[in-house]
Amino acid sequence: MSVIIGDGLAHRFGAEMALEGVDLVLDSGEHIAVLGDNGAGKTTLLRILATALRPTAGRLSIAGLDAVRERRRLRHYLGYVAHAPGLYPALSAAENLQFFSDLQDVDRRRVDEALDVVGLTSVAHRRADQLSRGMQQRLAIGRAILHEPRLLILDEPDASLGPDAAELLTRVISDKTVVLATHDHALANKLCQRSLVLRHGRSVGTATRLRVVR
Amino acid sequence: MNPFRVALAVARKDLRSEWRTRELVPALAQFIILALLIGNFGFQIDSRSAPSIAPGILWLALVFAGLVAFGRTFAAEREQASLEAMLMTPASPVAIFAGKALAASALLVICEAVMLPALSIFFGTPFSADVIAAVLLATVGMAALGCLFAAIVARIRARELLLPLLTLPLWIPFVIAGGVAVQSAMGLPGNYQQAIGLLIDFDILFVVLTSLAARFVLDE
Repeated sequence: MSVIIGDGLAHRFGAEMALEGVDLVLDSGEHIAVLGDNGAGKTTLLRILATALRPTAGRLSIAGLDAVRERRRLRHYLGYVAHAPGLYPALSAAENLQFFSDLQDVDRRRVDEALDVVGLTSVAHRRADQLSRGMQQRLAIGRAILHEPRLLILDEPDASLGPDAAELLTRVISDKTVVLATHDHALANKLCQRSLVLRHGRSVGTATRLRVVR
Repeated sequence: MNPFRVALAVARKDLRSEWRTRELVPALAQFIILALLIGNFGFQIDSRSAPSIAPGILWLALVFAGLVAFGRTFAAEREQASLEAMLMTPASPVAIFAGKALAASALLVICEAVMLPALSIFFGTPFSADVIAAVLLATVGMAALGCLFAAIVARIRARELLLPLLTLPLWIPFVIAGGVAVQSAMGLPGNYQQAIGLLIDFDILFVVLTSLAARFVLDE
């Protein structure tokens, strides 16, 4: 069953076309990497898929729902790790997740579980602004999995994660449908079955493992 | 999902962050004390003139402290890129807005708790329940409007300039009605009951309007 069906997705920022005519079909449990240079449109595509940004053209269906009109209903279904961690610096790691557990309406016991999955249990009571950049990224990933979403949209989650990024991400994305933007082709090949390559906002092809179109 | 729980969680988070960083309240309290000092030494005040000057100083200080307090509510979220994370949850944008407004109001009330006794000390005006009620009622509506415009301008670079331009004209009804109520409570002519009634009407009107608008402002 297709979880994501994107047809002719486009987004324009003023006069600039950030994304144009991107088609994407993703089946349940499938992992796809979105590759491309800086400014290729990866973040714009991921923000559209995460329902954080409305496409200016095209149609997007997620889990059978219209992702533009029914995007609030989809928020239970998907987790999103954005480019910036977006944490509250004065709150501890645990307090950050507790706050989002209230907003997600999930049991607070999930906070400990999420911290454990991302390996932050030992620094749970340390303020977010005292965590390293890699730890902050782990905390942002912990927030995205707090409500156990079935679809994960990850925008360069490996940024500043360090050498065990692949191990952590493998643990996080197992049994989920995943869209992952990254510059690391080796990581993409390790975690994803397919790749979508963007250039200047357009899809220049898809590829299976180890056959990334350049 | 319970919107009251969401609003309380947002307010608690904002107040906890402020308690830990102490960015806003000390600055606001200092500003208020300075405004009172300037008012005290800038005017020739005696027991007869104090009740007519003190309400003006009170509202001037409150309006400018309010602009600072409400301006930070969404600007900080934008700067740390946390607003999107909050809006990506299933929580209602109206509940999130209510929580932000609640926390900003609480910070302003803390400043008012410094200001009203200080006003009484500097100007010798009565520190009565009537004055407190008028100020608190004005704070409700001013918070709703201030937070709405703070959310609108948060994504604009010149937000510090735009916020007063948008907010001050709509705060005028609160300053007029609140001014009459406080003057009356301080012994000057004026219908206190009528002014308080107007403040309640304005509160209801603007809380409803801003709640309706907040959904669209935050959802986009």
